[in-house]
Amino acid sequence: MKTTAPLPLDPASARQLRRASLTAALASALWPVQAGCLAMMIHAWVTGGNASAALLAAVFALTGLARAGLERWASGQAFAAADQTVHALRQTLLDREPRLLRADVSSAEIAALYGQKLPLLVPYLTRYKPAMMRVRVVPLLLIALVAWHNWAAALALLIAVPTIPLFMALVGMAAKDASAKQLVEIGDMNRLLVDHLAVMPDARLLGGLDRSRAVFAASAEALRDRTMAVLRVAFLSSTVLELFSAIGVALVAILVGFTLLGEVTIGTWGGSLSVYQGVFILLLAPDVFLPLRDLASAWHDKASAEAVLDELADLEARDTAAILGTGARVAALPGAGSVTIQDAATERGPLPDLVVPAGGSLALVGPSGAGKSTTIEAIAGLIPHSGHLRVAGAPLTDATADAWRARLALVPQRVHLPDMPLDRYLDPHGRGGVAEALRLAHAAHIVAALPDGLGTVLGETGAGVSGGEMRRLLLARAFLSGADVILADEPTADLDARTAAQITQALIAAKARGATVIVATHDATLAEAMDQTLEVKA
Amino acid sequence: MILLRAIRLLWSAAPSAMVRGAFAGVLVMAMGAALLGLSGWFITATGAAGLMGVGIAFDVFRPSAGIRFLALGRAAGRYAERLWTHDATLRALARLRVVLMADFARKPMAELRRLRGSALLVRITADVDALDGVLLRLVLPLLAGLASHALAFALLWWLVAPQIAGAVALGYLLGGAVVFARLIRRSTALAAQAETQAQTLRRQMLGLIRGQRGAILQGTLPQRAAEITQTETTLRAAHDTLDRAERNAAMGLSAVVAVLVALVLWLADGLVQNGALSPAPAALGLFAALALAETLLPLRRGVAEIGRIQVAARRILGTPIQTVATPPAPHPTARGLVVRDLTVPHPARDTALIHGLSLDVAPGKTVALRSPSGSGKSTLLDALAGLHPATGDICLNGLQLNAWPEREMRAILTLVPQRTALIGGTIRDNLALATDDSDDDQAAWNALEAVALDDVIRTRGGLDARLGEGGAGLSGGESRRLALARAILRKPMILLLDEPTEGLDAPLARRVLHGIRTALPEAAILTASHREAETQMADQTIDLQSYI
Repeated sequence: MKTTAPLPLDPASARQLRRASLTAALASALWPVQAGCLAMMIHAWVTGGNASAALLAAVFALTGLARAGLERWASGQAFAAADQTVHALRQTLLDREPRLLRADVSSAEIAALYGQKLPLLVPYLTRYKPAMMRVRVVPLLLIALVAWHNWAAALALLIAVPTIPLFMALVGMAAKDASAKQLVEIGDMNRLLVDHLAVMPDARLLGGLDRSRAVFAASAEALRDRTMAVLRVAFLSSTVLELFSAIGVALVAILVGFTLLGEVTIGTWGGSLSVYQGVFILLLAPDVFLPLRDLASAWHDKASAEAVLDELADLEARDTAAILGTGARVAALPGAGSVTIQDAATERGPLPDLVVPAGGSLALVGPSGAGKSTTIEAIAGLIPHSGHLRVAGAPLTDATADAWRARLALVPQRVHLPDMPLDRYLDPHGRGGVAEALRLAHAAHIVAALPDGLGTVLGETGAGVSGGEMRRLLLARAFLSGADVILADEPTADLDARTAAQITQALIAAKARGATVIVATHDATLAEAMDQTLEVKA
Repeated sequence: MILLRAIRLLWSAAPSAMVRGAFAGVLVMAMGAALLGLSGWFITATGAAGLMGVGIAFDVFRPSAGIRFLALGRAAGRYAERLWTHDATLRALARLRVVLMADFARKPMAELRRLRGSALLVRITADVDALDGVLLRLVLPLLAGLASHALAFALLWWLVAPQIAGAVALGYLLGGAVVFARLIRRSTALAAQAETQAQTLRRQMLGLIRGQRGAILQGTLPQRAAEITQTETTLRAAHDTLDRAERNAAMGLSAVVAVLVALVLWLADGLVQNGALSPAPAALGLFAALALAETLLPLRRGVAEIGRIQVAARRILGTPIQTVATPPAPHPTARGLVVRDLTVPHPARDTALIHGLSLDVAPGKTVALRSPSGSGKSTLLDALAGLHPATGDICLNGLQLNAWPEREMRAILTLVPQRTALIGGTIRDNLALATDDSDDDQAAWNALEAVALDDVIRTRGGLDARLGEGGAGLSGGESRRLALARAILRKPMILLLDEPTEGLDAPLARRVLHGIRTALPEAAILTASHREAETQMADQTIDLQSYI
């Protein structure tokens, strides 16, 4: 069986949570005081004895209010501890993940973990943990109080709660199965919906919107069938809990009734049972089971929290090398913009030896998968390397990488445009000179044609510009950043000849202004425009 | 009110299952209260009988049988309630999603295409999830609670005393109303705001991870991380306030129970003292008042979420559904595609993409449009498929494009855009998008063979092989070809293909294009591409360059 990752609680939060749980248990333990008030009142009614209804009512109400107050305080503390825990985990993710270039985990998964899944720990901490504490404390305390008055009734309760741990394990296993399954199934319904929404443009073109809905409805119906089959079994376990709790109460009620009638005489420690004692015992009986029911209903929270913790641990265990440096803005690395690689390798394989002087240019050519993109990324310090990789005369390390990137621009094959206005994206540090850079990159007319010009927000997938236009905008950004080292990964791939030529010209213009240019390319025209060509072999 | 519309919609998905579930809920609550009430009555009565020495004469059989019956009945009722409410909820979930799909089906194409951006989809699923809670956490407990109180009121009036019945009903209804009204007032706006913040947080994180290379290279990683932490701080503050409101509500409910039971105790004592009520029914009243506390507690979460639910309902159900009258089906007078003097405006800019384009595609002929990337060939194809405005003449089978009703037009014209999508499910499910006759295996295999995908599908397990989410399990080229197979199944008379063989190597591209032509010998095919494989196989090539 898979063991679940431990909950990363800091000591202060753990203490806070324990205090909260204990206080909540204490609040539950005040119930016998209230039960005593009710029992005394009924005893007085039956025996015609003297009891002040006003006093009993006041004690009952005040104890109830005190319990409410204690519970409120306890849940506030539990919430604070849970909030702190989630915050700490989020901070860890935020510090770590942007610096890891993961190939095997999608950005959506990480964002979902950070945004939607970590908060699932909150109900686990605020509901399950305190319920667990109550289960440990309250039933035994109440049964002991019952036993004080009537051991037979206590015994009946102990029978109804055969052995609490066994009982919990039983309920737990089935409930966990059920809730895990249910989570998956309901998740499936959403995944199904997402798929069908994404396919809608196609469905319309195929005249199949109605058919798509029919397919969805049929799949959803099949899903409901499967889910219900699981739930029919799973709900049995919580029914067992209900049943035992109801039978326990019934058993105690009947036993106490018969004892009061004098027909049963065992269990009373030799004396007889008063009405007060009988009512008191009866009132405690349901509360013996209450913590168990709370725990069972919080089991769902535990199951989802464990799934989150597993995912967190799994992510941590996937060994991905971090980028060099921190990704912060620092002063540019001094020295001429040269690049030298000798006997170096990344974990994906060896890097080609190369020497590009400042102001020089190099085309990396060779078959797909030979490591051209890897070389570009290693030079940008995005993946770590071993061996000699010197930039601007200094070894590329954690200490120099940020400063090196401050004078470097990279035009990747695929671009993710953040949701921000174009001018802020092109010139994040406000250096100015946008028009000149756009002209150099053959991108001026692209911006001119946008609805809001430089103020246009190009959405998540860069709606409004094509791939070739996007790369020219990126080149403009490279010029704007004042970078004197330009790396480009397949800048002309998938483009028509005219657009490709414009991009090649822009790179030549950068070279003419003294920049060091390194490109990875399949494009012979572009390769020829560079000073040297290096064939990378797989 | 939008919330009522959401409830009506969900309720109508399975009214009988809902009623059954609510009924079982009432049964469970009522039996719980009756169990405790009867037990209290029994003990008090036996106590009195024992004291008076009439124990032997006391009828113990019926009350104790009643107690046993209630104990077992309550457990069984709970089981039935949980099954029925979950069944009803699952039906409602499916129904809600189908309605949502029907709503989206009426949205403009541009909006549908934007849906592929995952941020929007995440929001929609989060909204749907929020609506899912309406029934299980709000409507059903509320109905069950109200019904239980009505029942309890009648029984207490009859068995105990009108005063007690009135106090219990009024106390719980008023107390509950005050506490919940306060909770709604405190949390509605805040819950909506917290949800917006949570979505901003997710979007920012997604943006940062997706654009991590850009942020690292620009040295903006710490700034972007700081922005995210800022959002998180606001979100935490909102959640803290929300949780406090919920805690206060919980305390308020506990206080209502404590004060109400104390009040019943005091009232009952008065009645017992002046002889209007005997001890056993008084105990019954007291115990019932205590047990009815269970009607309030399950509502807490649902009420706290009302704000969030409202926002979700407004976004999901907010757009009123309008039906468009369909013009009568046209009678085609000719065949093929004829375009005269077409001008296509740029989708996002104030300029024209294409000027004065004229072309003819006769049945059985293939015309290739050649153009530089980004020059608007995709927009042109959209215009020809009626998805983008244009001026000039577009004639499908001799009739103007805008004279065609949507359904009839899609029956003769099929566009395969550059970006296509598949659904998780079987190959058959995917092909079913294109044809009503999804059981016609021969047609399906023919279409797959035409795009050279039959062997691949056969090794995967045939038409019933399952694909993962978004068609995962097929390579990019295979997905592309499955989308082409879907188009072939439509048997269109006019077929528009945008970069049909992207991602395929040249020999395979030629084979697929040849396959499409063989499968649709009479179709007028227009392709847009800059690949040689496609221009070579066309009967005519038009360079779009001259129309820009």
